Amino acid sequence: MSRARGSFGRLLRSELALLFGRRRTLALLAGLAAVPVLLSVVLFIAQGQGLDGQGPGFIGRVTGNGLFLVVAALFMCLPFLLPLTIAITSGDTIAGEAQTGTLRYLLTLPVARTRLLLAKALVALAFAAAAVLVITAMSLAAGGAFFGLGDLTLLSGTTVSLGDGIGRMLGVAGYVALSLTGLVAVGMFISTLTEVPVGAMAATVVVSVVSTVLDSLPQLAAIHPYLLTHHWFDFAEFLRIEVDWSVLASGLLVQVGWVAVFGSLAWARFRSADVTS
Amino acid sequence: MTDRRTPFRSPWLAPAAVAAAVAMGLIAQPLLASGEGSDLPDLTAEELVARVLEAEPQAMSGTVVHTARLGLPDLLFTEASGADPMSLLGGSSTLRLWTDGDERARVSLLGTMSEYSVVADGTDVWTYSSADDEVVRYTMSDADRARLEAMGEEGRAKALAERAELPTPQEAAADALAKVEEHSSVRVDSQVTVAGRDAYQLVVTPDTDGTLVDHVVLAVDGETMTPLRVQTWSTQDETAPAVEVSFTDVDFSAPAESVFEFSAPASATQRDVVVPIPAEGGEMPAEMPAHEGEHPEPTVHGTGWETVIELAGVDVAAMLAQDPTAMGGMPEDFTGSEEAEDLMEEFKPEHGAGGMDLDTGALFEQLTAEVPEGRLLSSTLLSVLITDDGRVLVGAVPAETLRAMA
Repeated sequence: MSRARGSFGRLLRSELALLFGRRRTLALLAGLAAVPVLLSVVLFIAQGQGLDGQGPGFIGRVTGNGLFLVVAALFMCLPFLLPLTIAITSGDTIAGEAQTGTLRYLLTLPVARTRLLLAKALVALAFAAAAVLVITAMSLAAGGAFFGLGDLTLLSGTTVSLGDGIGRMLGVAGYVALSLTGLVAVGMFISTLTEVPVGAMAATVVVSVVSTVLDSLPQLAAIHPYLLTHHWFDFAEFLRIEVDWSVLASGLLVQVGWVAVFGSLAWARFRSADVTS
Repeated sequence: MTDRRTPFRSPWLAPAAVAAAVAMGLIAQPLLASGEGSDLPDLTAEELVARVLEAEPQAMSGTVVHTARLGLPDLLFTEASGADPMSLLGGSSTLRLWTDGDERARVSLLGTMSEYSVVADGTDVWTYSSADDEVVRYTMSDADRARLEAMGEEGRAKALAERAELPTPQEAAADALAKVEEHSSVRVDSQVTVAGRDAYQLVVTPDTDGTLVDHVVLAVDGETMTPLRVQTWSTQDETAPAVEVSFTDVDFSAPAESVFEFSAPASATQRDVVVPIPAEGGEMPAEMPAHEGEHPEPTVHGTGWETVIELAGVDVAAMLAQDPTAMGGMPEDFTGSEEAEDLMEEFKPEHGAGGMDLDTGALFEQLTAEVPEGRLLSSTLLSVLITDDGRVLVGAVPAETLRAMA
């Protein structure tokens, strides 16, 4: 058992090193890191030109308090950029190995398929966490540098201390990262279906886009609460006077459902699949 | 093929079982939150009304969902950005409410990334819109304040209640119950569960056919007698309530002190508005406050559910140009339903500067239809007729009634 655990640990470490050593991964993270910097440069140049207060409410507030850059940057990245990068990494997990012909060598390791899949999943989740972390850290840095950090005015009109404000921003980041777990599971499952990683990546992006479209149709209100993307923006809860934890919990519960269904589908597929390449 | 024997005949049974479990969880969830049947002691309609009217206001907090199906064009709601009270006119909105059961309360209308808050502390009311980063402070003139102090507790509560701007089940229920005695018949319906609480249901049916309100269903908490859900059904739509305001979760413990405190954010713009309060007793102010004296008195036709308010000498063009004085003579409390007032409120330019963000003229064109008498707005609960000679008729009555009166 300890041998098995040791080999799983080695596998996990090597997979992590493989992913974060890739130029593609670093390029994706650099791209995400550029968003808050670009946003703050644009807002810095544009401030005082009479455009203040336009756009989504909190974007105009970034110039007054750099803390808002965390929310603004995540708000900008969440509809498309984050799902895209997550689709690229999670869609590549199995299909990428299958395409390069390395999957069957991987399967010769003394590690059960279930554990191999688990290691791949943990690495894909680690990327999702890293992506959100990079945006958050760069937002705090750029926001602080360009506009300074100060006491945070909540959507409810109450002002809280800087420490509390940073805590709430970290809560936002944590919720966003956890909200992406369902999409990681969907990407993993699609990745087990094909040997063409690009196809898996595209299909995963399509899933998130379709979910967003369905979420915008009022006729489908009955299924909205169960959609993958419906609760993504509930992170605004951290900006209200009393955080309603039940709202956040129900958002995360939906993600748990998606992870359970698509995680088990990926497991079933990967376990029973013939690996020929 | 597989590297180890599986406990399942096929690995695909696992996702099937997981999917079934998730689906069952989805189905079970709403069943727990609301449903039929509870075993509260039976009450007659009269006993129930009496107990609701007698009930002490409770310290509580909770989430309220407001759903409107007024049959108004979608334009209204898609153009309103952020959390705006205007969004209450169509679709579903979520509000959060805290009250200490006395004079302090906070009600917030939640938008995806915005919030519109109303914080009331006795005679002081603040609103804060995060989308506009604007604070409005509603105060009273000293004369009104003195008048309020002199009022009995009941009149005082009534006057204060009218200042709240966001709908809650309490308000909607008070509105329906106010008409119970003279103009309606009441009966008790089967008990229900609302927001996880056992509740009585009271059905208030107008005695007349001359109104757009078919009936109003109140769900009242069996323990505290607090209204938990109010559904207003229109005669125009029998499939769903035209307006429903309902708690989805509720907690009868005293909220934290901090939610009742409000200090304007440093960045926000602020303006002060002095609100006149209506006189004690009647539906109509006995005399309009002096600064609105130049406006004509509204005429009231009919009573109860059929009440129609007629206002002469309204300059529609000025009103559309957002001249705050054009409709200043409109009384605060004039129509058959809470929602009707909210709707009318949108056309009434705000006291002081500012007003709606929308192009009011275009909105007016979109909302109203040309009729021989003038322009007509009809929704499932309210009709408004603006005649060519500058009269405005408003009531929770069919449009034909207004046209006949014009």
